[in-house]
Parts: sequence; C-alpha cells; structure tokens
Amino acid sequence: MQRLTIEDLKNIKEKHKATFALREGGYRAKVTVHMGTCGITVGAKDVMDALINEVKKNGLKDVTVGSAGCAGLCGREPIVTIEEIGKETIKYCDMNAEKMRKIVVAHLIEGKPVEDYALPHQKDLPFYNLQELRVLQNIWFMDPESLEEYIARDGYQAAAKALTQMTQEEIIKVVKDSGLRGRGGAGFPTGLKWEFASKVQSEVKFMLCNGDEGDPGAFMDRSVMEADPHSVIGGMIIGAKAIGAHQGYIYVRAEYPLAVKRLQIAIKQCYEAGLLGKNIFDSGFDFDLEIYQGAGAFVCGEETALMRSIEGKRGMPRPRPPFPAHKGLRDKPSVLNNVETLAQIPLIILNGAEWYKSIGTEKSTGTKVFCLAGAIKNVGLIEVPMGIPLRTIVYDIGGGMRGKKKFKAVQMGGPSGGCIPESLLGLPVTYEDIVKSGAIMGSGGMVFMDEDNCMVSVAKFFLGFTTDESCGKCVPCRVGTRILLDILTDICEGRGKEGDIETLEDLCKDIIAASLCGLGMTAPNPVLTTIRYFKDEYEAHIKDKWCVAGVCRDLCTFFIDEKLCKGCLACLRACPSKAIVGEKKKPHRIIQELCVHCRSCYDSCKFKSIKVLPAAAREASEAELLQLAGVATPTGV
Amino acid sequence: MIELTINDKKITVEEGTTILQAALENGIKMPNLCYDKRLKPYGACRLCVVEEEKSPRLLAACSSPVAPGMVVKTDTPKLRKIRQTVLELMLVHHPLDCPVCDKAGECDLQDIAYEYGKPETRFIRHRKEAPPDIRGPLIELTSNRCILCGKCVRICDEYQGRGALGLIGRGFPAVVQPAFGEILECDYCGQCIDICPTGALLSKPYKFKARAWFLEEKDTICPFCGCGCTLTLGIREGRILRSRGKEDNGVSGGNLCGRGRFGFDYIYSENRLKTPMIRRYGELVPASWDEAMSYISDSLKSISENYGPFSIGAIGSHRCTNEDNYMLQKFMRNVIGSNNIDSSAAFGYALVERAFGQKGHHIDLKSPLGKEIIFILESDLSITHPVFGINILRAKREGSKLIIADSRETKLTRHSSQWLRIRPGTGVALLNGIMKIIIDRGLFDKEKVSKVSGFSSLESVLKHYTPDKVSKITGITEEELMEATEIFAKAKSRMLSLSIGISENTKGLDTVLAASNLITLMGDSPDSLQIPAEYSNTSGLYRMGIRPDGSTGSPGNGKTISEMLYEPDTIKALYIMGEDPVVTFPNSIKINETLKTLDLLIVQDIALTETAKLAHIVLPASSWAEKEGTFMNTEGLAQRVYRVVDATGQSLPDWQIIRNLAWTMEKDMGIKTLEDISREVNPLLVSPFVSSEKRVFNPVLYTPGEESDADYPLTMVIRDVLQHSGSMSTRSKSLDLVVSEPLLEINEEDAERLGILDHTYVRVTSRQGTVYLKAKVTDTIPDGTVYVPTHFPHGRVNALTHLSHNGEIPIDIVKVEPVKI
Repeated sequence: MQRLTIEDLKNIKEKHKATFALREGGYRAKVTVHMGTCGITVGAKDVMDALINEVKKNGLKDVTVGSAGCAGLCGREPIVTIEEIGKETIKYCDMNAEKMRKIVVAHLIEGKPVEDYALPHQKDLPFYNLQELRVLQNIWFMDPESLEEYIARDGYQAAAKALTQMTQEEIIKVVKDSGLRGRGGAGFPTGLKWEFASKVQSEVKFMLCNGDEGDPGAFMDRSVMEADPHSVIGGMIIGAKAIGAHQGYIYVRAEYPLAVKRLQIAIKQCYEAGLLGKNIFDSGFDFDLEIYQGAGAFVCGEETALMRSIEGKRGMPRPRPPFPAHKGLRDKPSVLNNVETLAQIPLIILNGAEWYKSIGTEKSTGTKVFCLAGAIKNVGLIEVPMGIPLRTIVYDIGGGMRGKKKFKAVQMGGPSGGCIPESLLGLPVTYEDIVKSGAIMGSGGMVFMDEDNCMVSVAKFFLGFTTDESCGKCVPCRVGTRILLDILTDICEGRGKEGDIETLEDLCKDIIAASLCGLGMTAPNPVLTTIRYFKDEYEAHIKDKWCVAGVCRDLCTFFIDEKLCKGCLACLRACPSKAIVGEKKKPHRIIQELCVHCRSCYDSCKFKSIKVLPAAAREASEAELLQLAGVATPTGV
Repeated sequence: MIELTINDKKITVEEGTTILQAALENGIKMPNLCYDKRLKPYGACRLCVVEEEKSPRLLAACSSPVAPGMVVKTDTPKLRKIRQTVLELMLVHHPLDCPVCDKAGECDLQDIAYEYGKPETRFIRHRKEAPPDIRGPLIELTSNRCILCGKCVRICDEYQGRGALGLIGRGFPAVVQPAFGEILECDYCGQCIDICPTGALLSKPYKFKARAWFLEEKDTICPFCGCGCTLTLGIREGRILRSRGKEDNGVSGGNLCGRGRFGFDYIYSENRLKTPMIRRYGELVPASWDEAMSYISDSLKSISENYGPFSIGAIGSHRCTNEDNYMLQKFMRNVIGSNNIDSSAAFGYALVERAFGQKGHHIDLKSPLGKEIIFILESDLSITHPVFGINILRAKREGSKLIIADSRETKLTRHSSQWLRIRPGTGVALLNGIMKIIIDRGLFDKEKVSKVSGFSSLESVLKHYTPDKVSKITGITEEELMEATEIFAKAKSRMLSLSIGISENTKGLDTVLAASNLITLMGDSPDSLQIPAEYSNTSGLYRMGIRPDGSTGSPGNGKTISEMLYEPDTIKALYIMGEDPVVTFPNSIKINETLKTLDLLIVQDIALTETAKLAHIVLPASSWAEKEGTFMNTEGLAQRVYRVVDATGQSLPDWQIIRNLAWTMEKDMGIKTLEDISREVNPLLVSPFVSSEKRVFNPVLYTPGEESDADYPLTMVIRDVLQHSGSMSTRSKSLDLVVSEPLLEINEEDAERLGILDHTYVRVTSRQGTVYLKAKVTDTIPDGTVYVPTHFPHGRVNALTHLSHNGEIPIDIVKVEPVKI
C-alpha cells in the first residue's frame, strides 16, 4: 500500500462506504461470522467454511461474507450475523456447520429466517440494548485484518487530527477534560499521566501499551486487541505525540496468540501505509511501534515489572519513586496505558471531551468494558456507561444466574478485587463507589457466584492464584499470601480452628500495609471481603465443619430427602462411586461409606432433593440424618 | 539541601537522599536487610517501613527520597507490629539452625529478629527442603536460609558486573541460584558472602572453623595487587581463618576480590621454609641461623675480595615491605658497596618512569568516576586490579562511556560502550592512528600543544598511520577507529588506562610513550593516564631505591636485572629476596643457565621456590602477616602492615635477616630496630614525587613483534588469571581450588583445525623451549592466538618466552600440537 495522506483517508472511507454498505443494486445481504478466540475455540472456522462452501455451491453472488471479532455473547458462540437491506439484522447463535448450511438455504435462499437458532431481535434484548458501545463499536462489525475497513469506520482520523492540527498541550487538555481514567484498574487520570511525562525533558521517551491482561475471568483487552487492533495503535500514536515519544511497545502476553497475530498484521499494515515510522501524515512526527511478548507472569501487568520485562530482565516490580514518567523503561520517561484506555483515545480526540463526558458520572466518565463470567447466564463482553447499577448488569444485561440459581456474589477486579454480595447490588459502577464495598473496579472482570459456590473456596482460589503469581520479591507478599492460602486450605479441609478468622484479618492488614507493589497490596482483598460479607460461611467451616454449599469435600455429607426425591435415577447415574441405590420412581439413598463427596449427585438433581449436611453427619443414623436435614442450620445464620 | 523531621529531630540532608540514608547518617537506627549503599534501592525486606504524616501508606525508607517538610516516624507501635509480622513471615521458612550456622553471632537476620521479632510464631509450616549447594569451590549456597533479599544477586550483577547468580522461579518457591541450577562459576570474589545478611552464602574454607564470637579480628593490607585494600582478618588460636571486607574500611571501601578474600592461606603452604638451608654435597639441608649467617658472610667477603664488590648483585621484592627493601638496598650500597640492585619492576613499572621521566606515577583508584570517557588499552584491569575495575564499571553505570581496545573478550569488553577488537600487541599502532585522526581534524588542544616540544616530529611520525593502514595493522575497521577517536577526542573529561607488568607481553615502553603522547596532545594532565602499579609494594620498592642507579652515593650505575639474570658471568654472587625469577621472569631457561654459573646464590623467601631450589643457601623469611612494616599502594599511599600471627618456624622478617647478616659481617648499618628503619624510610614515603612540568612528545613507531610463520603459526599472549597474582598465590589451597594450572586458551576454530579437544594436553613449542599444558577451547579469544598465564611453577610457561633486546617482554610465537597418548 502507498503512504496514506489525510486526503486518502477520506477517499478510502468513501470508497468503502460504497463497497461494504449494503445498498440497492449491490450486495443484497452480508453474512458476518464472529471470529474472536471465543468463537474460534467452539468451531467458528468450521462455520465459516460451511458458509463459504454453501454460498459458492448455490451461486449466491449477491451475498457477501466477512468476519469480525467477538459478538459479545461469548457464551453463545459461534455467532453469525446476517444483515439484509430493509430487514431486521438477525444474529444466529450456538452455531455449527450443519446449522449454517440450513440457514443459508432457509434464510438466504428461501428468505425465511430460522427462528429456532436466532437470538431475539437485538432491540428487544437487554443484553444489547442496555449497552453503550464506544470501545467495542467496531469489534462486532469489522474485519480486524482489514485496514481499509477500519479507515472506513473513521479510523486514524483522530491520529491525523492530533498530528496535524493539535499541539501536545491541546491533546493533553482534551484528554484531561474528558475525565478519562486508566482502565487497567487503578483509575489514574490518563491526561495527568501524559502531562507528567510530557513535562520531563528527554530526547528519548517511550509510549507503552499494557496488554498483559492476566486476571482470571477477564478478556476485554484480548477482545479489543483481537478485533480492533488499529484503535489501540491509533491511541498510541496520539499518546506518543502528546508526551513526545518516538518509540512504543505493546506488551502482550504470549498466551494471546491471536491478539499478537492481529496486532502484527495491523502494525505491518500501518508501516506500509505510512501510519507508523517516519513523518506520519507529513506532520514531521516519527513513531515506531513494536510488540513485546510477555512470558505470562501476572506481575508483569504491574508497570515497573512490565518495563523491566521489556528490558529483558526478570519481571519484578521496583519501588517508586522514581515514577515511570521520570524514569521508566531503560530509565527514560515512559507512559504505560492499558489497551482499553488507549482504544478510547481516538474517540475522545475525534468527538471532544464534552461528548465523552456526556455519559457516566462526574468522576467516572464515559464507558467501561466488562467481562461477565462464572455462574451468569449471558457470559460475555459488554460495554456500559459508568454509573450503571450493578443490579442492572447482573439481572438485565447478564440475564441473572444460570439455571435460575440464586445470586450470591460477584468478584470484581479479579484476584486483586473483592466479592460484592447481593445487598450491595445497588452500587453504581464507578471507581469511587466500588471501592466502598472492599472490591475495586479493576480492569473489568466480573466473576459471578451463585448459591452453589463456597465463599471460602472462592477466596482460596484467588489466593492460590496470587500466591503462584507473586514474584517473590517482598516478604509480605511472597510468604504472607502463602500463609493465607495455607490457613484457607486448612479451613476448607476441616483443620480450621478458633481464631483463624482473626489471624487472617490481622495478617491481611499487615500484608496490605507492607507490600511493595499493587499485587501484594490487593492480594488479601478477596479474603477480607469474603470475611466481611460471608463470615457465617467461615464460621460454619471452622466450628461446624460444614460447607453449606457442598464444595469442600471434607466438610459435607450428602443426603437425599425422600420427600422430595422423585426417583428419576439422575443422581444414581451421575455417581462415580456407585454410592447411590434406589429404583425408578422410588426415593434413592446414599450409602455414606461409599460416598466420595464429589457433589455430582447434587448437581444432577433437578428437584433439590439432595441436602448438604455437616461432615459429622456421615456417622449419623438414617433417622438422625432425617432429623438433621429438617432443622440444622449453620452457626451464625 | 532538604529539611525534614525524623523522630522529632530536625535534620538537613542533600536532595536525592533516601529516608533510610538520612536516618542512618544522623544516627537513627532502622532495621534493614536488603539495603546496601552500593546498590540501587530494592525495597524487598519491608523492615525499614516508616510512617510519614502526609503519606496515606507506609513508606519503605530505603526507596523513598526525602522531601521538604516530611515528618517521619521510624518507631511506632504500628511499625513494630508490621516488623514483627514481616520477621515472623521470614522465619516461617528460615530454618533455626543457628547452632550449626557459621553466620550465627554476626547474622543480620538473627540480630534483627532478636531486637524486633517476637518470641512465639503463629505460623509453623513450609520450610524449603533444598540441600546446601556445595558443588562449587569456595562458596556454599544454602537456599533454605535465604530470605531472598537479593543482595547477592545484585552485588554480583549491578556492582561486580558478573551476574553469576539469579533469582529462579517466583513466589514462595523462588530461590537464588546460578543460571539453570548449574555449579556456581564466577569471579569468586566472595562479595556475596560478605553482603549476605543470613547464613545462605558462606565461605567454604571457613566452614565450621570458628564461632564468630571466638574470632579476633585484625586489619591489615592485602599482600596481592597494587590496590592495597584493607583485609579484616579473623584469627583464632594464632591462625588466620578468614578474611573479609568491612564497609567503608580502607581504599576499597570494604570491597574485596577473591585473592584478598581467599588467598591469605598461601602462608600456610606446605613448602614454607622453617629453617635456613645450606647446600651440602649437592643437597639443601637444614642449618642453624648461625651457620647460615657465617656461611654467607664468609662467602660474600671472599667474593668481594676476589672479584670486587661489583660482582655481587641483589634483587628486591614487590612483595616485601618498604622496610625490607630499604634494608636490602642499604646493605648492598653500604655494606657491600655495589649498586647492582634491581627488581622485576624493571620489566613493568620502570617503563612508566622511563616514559614520564619521573620516579613513580601514582594513580587514583577513584579516577574513573565522573569521567566522560574511559579508554582502556589491552588490559584487563578487572583482573589485575579488581577494585580499580569495580570503579570503572561503576563509572560506566553512572554514565561514562567505556571504550576497550582488547583482543580478548573480558568482563570489561562485555560492559563496554565500544569494543575495539584489535590484534594483540598492536596498541601503539592504534594510539598512533587515533592521534593522526585527531591532528588531521584539529581536535587537539592547540594552545597547550604549542608549548610542548616535539610536536613536529610527532606529526611526521604519525604521517604513516593513516586510518587505512592502522585498520590493516589492528584488524578493526576504519569506521570503528573514527568513531572511537571522535568520542574520545570530543569528551570533556578523559581517562586512559592500561596495566603493565611482568605477567603480560602485549605492551611495552612504546605503548606507554604513545599513550602519554595522546594525553599530552589532548592537553590533559598526566593524571589522565592511569597506569596502576602491579603488586602490593611495587610503588614502595621503587621509592626505597631498589634500582641500579648510582644516585645514592656509590660510584656509577649498577647492573640491571637483565644483565644480572640473562648475561652469565656478569656477577658472581646474587642475593634474591622474595622473588622467584625462574617461574615469573621471561625466558626461564636462560635464567636457569645464568644462575647455575654463580658462585653464590642466596635466596631469601617464605617458601622453597623454584629459584630457591637452585640456591646455595636459602633463608626463611616471615610472611606478610607475620611481620610489621608498610606497603605503598598504587595511589602512593603508604599503609601499615601488621603482625597478626606468629612467625612460621625460625623464619624472620626480611629486614631482620639483613640486619643480622650485616652484624655477622661486622658492619654497622646503624639499624637495630624497625623504628630505626622507619626513621629513615618515612621521609621517603611522604616526600611527593615532583612531576616534571616540562612535557615532551616522544613519538614512537609501531614495531611489529614476531610474525607468526609456518613453523610457529600462533601468537602467544601472556595474561593474568583473576584468582592469581604472581606465583605467590599458587600456594593458596583455596585459590588453587578455582584454578590450579595454566590453561592454554585456544580459539575454537584453531582447536578444531589442530585436532585439539577441550581439557586435553598439548605440546607448546616456541623458539626458546617446549612445555606441556592443558588446552581450554574458548570463543573469547580471536583465532591465530593462544592465551596463557605464567603463575604456575609447574606450568613452566616462561620456558617459552624471551626478553627483547631492550629489556621488554614481547609477544612470542608458538606451535601447539595435541599430545597423542
């Protein structure tokens, strides 16, 4: 491709409007297969092959086929979108090759959409209509490997504007005025960060992008890098101009191969088109950009560790000050922004600070992307205005819990965050409000827990993660998290003792106070919030040796309530140790000596006839069990 | 300056100081385990946390710079509680094996736990189960005791520039280990042992030797190189058990290299001399001091009577104190009446004098710091003068540019900004080439140069050294030459440095002259040229008059060391004090021949050296730790050496032996005690050398050494080994554990072509002789060359070397063949 001028951007946009937009006389229909990692892992490529073959076989010359990123509802992938002139756009979900072939025939040839496979119309679906798409505005629609398509969607207009019409100060002012705060979790004002770095005198500065997303259950940055890599690059060009950097790095974990590939393609395209390299848009501004693949250490998401990692050293945080704005990568002034933050930048430059601030709250402006994971019905990727109540996300967008289970808690902010219980679902989603709950906004992962989750085990899970991912540098984090994990493990395995909760709380406070970096300072949050909101569960574990949710094997006895059992044989079939006896349509019974407490029966029962009793009940007689099932309540309830 | 309050005390410190430094400077104690002032702040142990009024979080004092108006509290109940918890966590995996740990009693962790910890612990679980790593020599690593403060890793990487240790793994299982868990292979400087706050890194030779509280510690000066570092020797029951550096102690500030730390045990070598020995019927047999003294007295008298006093010569020693050397020359001049006195410095340090026309040219170990450019010519200063090397690396870290011209890959080349890989021995051509470019481009100080005579002759000599020609001689490209010259000439401050000495053969008088020309051309003071003196008392020996000149009263100049050792029948009797020419001097075959023609060879040494084995009489001298005196380091600083242990056998300090001999000869030198000598020596030590203001250009031509040919296809370069110093250190058991034989380094390609495998024996032949050595195949040296050290007596490497007609040690050409068994 030739070097692009600003004029070219406009021309390409016009040209592609003509090619891609469906219009009379052109293509009649456009079929998009969503090929994010979520789609590809469940067979989007097969669907794509089937689609292409079928279209070819039937000679559908007026149908155009394309790919795009994740369609948001990751739980229902592969998803295929069919747009037709003058008709409602239809999304088909849970696709496979067979269904695809059927749809081509029925929908595209015969004109009868296959209602069975289709999602309800987008405008009727709260999952879609409560969202506010900004960062994700392209990813549902655009081929991530096509620079033209990106340009057709106003791509690089903002970079052109920033490079040719704006001064460093003007760019920083707009970003500051927009109120944009770092989307990586801590929420530091982006404009301020840029201002610090721009004021430091240095010939060499670095503009860095943090794509080292590592929270369990978080995948928004991956989705953006996979589906809209150019918007990140655009944001980096603008940021580089603002701070006066001429070299940039995108730090992506190597476990994101598709994101790496798409970014590589995008960077190559940019160099070919003169959007990176020397004298971009003839503005005299040079900017070179490289990808640095991280080896997958969680702590490398911490800025000083990330910079050390790029230097080729062991990824370990170092004390601040000096702050990276003064001495960052290779001891030069550096700015590190998160993927999502950078993807917001072109929009702010193009539409202005006022537009950006028009949604959200005063201190938390704009939108935030979240990943819904865990026990929620609509597992997926969403973008909502700041200030939206949590309850709306859980029940409207998220569609409530799967299997009509009861909501118990949502973990926000990954392993550094905390669990928010039902009682706090009224909280608006802003940086300031979420902190009040003991959790943090975080980078946007939301892991949902329903009534079947044991909160001690949840805390143990997250501590297991941070213990593994602690770099080992400072003592409180390296040893402290390990001790927390040990105590939680003891509690979950029946060795909990009086005073453990107090020890946990005390140690947590010291770890928070004494740790070197954010990892250690926040690692105890899951423990503290679960103790704060679910202390009864801890006490039941310690005092009654009873895991009410039936998760901790050593702390539960499974018992079938004859009154509720329909004799459906489901549990009997699910039991791996043949511990359940019974006949069809007659109540079943668990032989306690054979039971391995795997919970398969509990999960398989549709009639809630299986009860979880304390571990001590294993020794009890049938009659005693019956009695226990009726009256026993754990301590603290 | 910044004002702040710490614990209600108002203090003022410089900007950029950390809270911890500010506190320590003002006598406020604060526990810390990962801080060391040589290293960058690390912030891992979290013991130095403090409260600051305006800060919402606790601050780690080691990594928080002071700010105006800070109000800091270092000891509050809250902080005590945090410190207790942190210590409690550290002790979760630190085994409480203090009863069998050498560190106990001087262990930082122990002391801090005692002061800040609490008696009971809430967490008794997880200990690491790794066994101690005892595979490497000298240093033992017990990772169970490690608290991961990272000091060892950082001092090795950041400060020593070696990076032999790393943190492996992450989180709780993280350990300090050499890369890939291999055997520790490093400089063996042992700095990690001193810096370790627990017993995780320990000295193997010292293991289980003494509890810390039973050790008596005494400071003295290191006997090895010219740096003159202060060693803190640990003594128990009259025996030196260890040596360590103490923070801020001595010229090195407490930094030591492996020689200083582990090499002291050469005084316990098995072949230490315990009595005088006289050759009877061809064999050296023990004798009494009386017999020995009478024997020498009689022999010297008769030789003097028969052949005149000029037939008697003496060799002084850079290993002996100023007092010893002073006595030897005084004995020669006053008792014998001869100026035939010289030393090995004639091959090295004397060249500096010849170049500068001044007696001695002291360096400043700290001179690299703050220089914009440091240029090092064909020298591995990190090996010859480790502490100087540390300062060079530190300067580089702090922003200096480092240009190294060297054929071999060394620690310095690895840290350099530019590495000019010149052919060995072509330094003069390189320097001339640089000067030519500087003059052509007018980059020199014209005003200052106009006052120096000889510029026109310099210009005419340099005419031949066009970049093109220099590139051909040195093997570097013209671009490299131009770039280096540009950086060197345009810098605001410069240091040019090289080592020179008897154990190297790529530099000579011409190199020093050319280097001096370059410095003069740039208008820099002579201090810009730093040529460190080789051994512990090379500087001093020179001042004491160990030189064959006639200035001290006796008529005429005496015979030089070249004449005495390489020209048979020049003299009849030779008195060698503390020197082993047969091993350490070039062309040992010739020396052997000369020594055998002598009527009387007296060797006075601490051990039965190869030279002593040829002597008619051998006198046992006390070692450096067994006598009092002074050493003068390369900075010109005279430092006291103390008697820290008793003399071995009947050995006596060198000066006493000479005094006794003079008495036996019924001559009074006017000296009875050490104080008597000091009275005469001290003025010599303090009088500054007058550096001549008048400077001259001494243009020199590059004279190629012997060119390799079909018979002798390889160039042999002589180089030091880091763990050794002359041949004295080879008697140290500890140092021999690291390197105990001269390995002939050979390039991979040459080795393959010649069919030589790594660590197999080869026959090395030069025009002078043949020796058998073990080969080490390496990629750190260029093809066509071999590198070998001369330290080891059994290696006989000096059987291959020769002395040039002008008394210098030139490059030799050799043939290397695999030995077929």
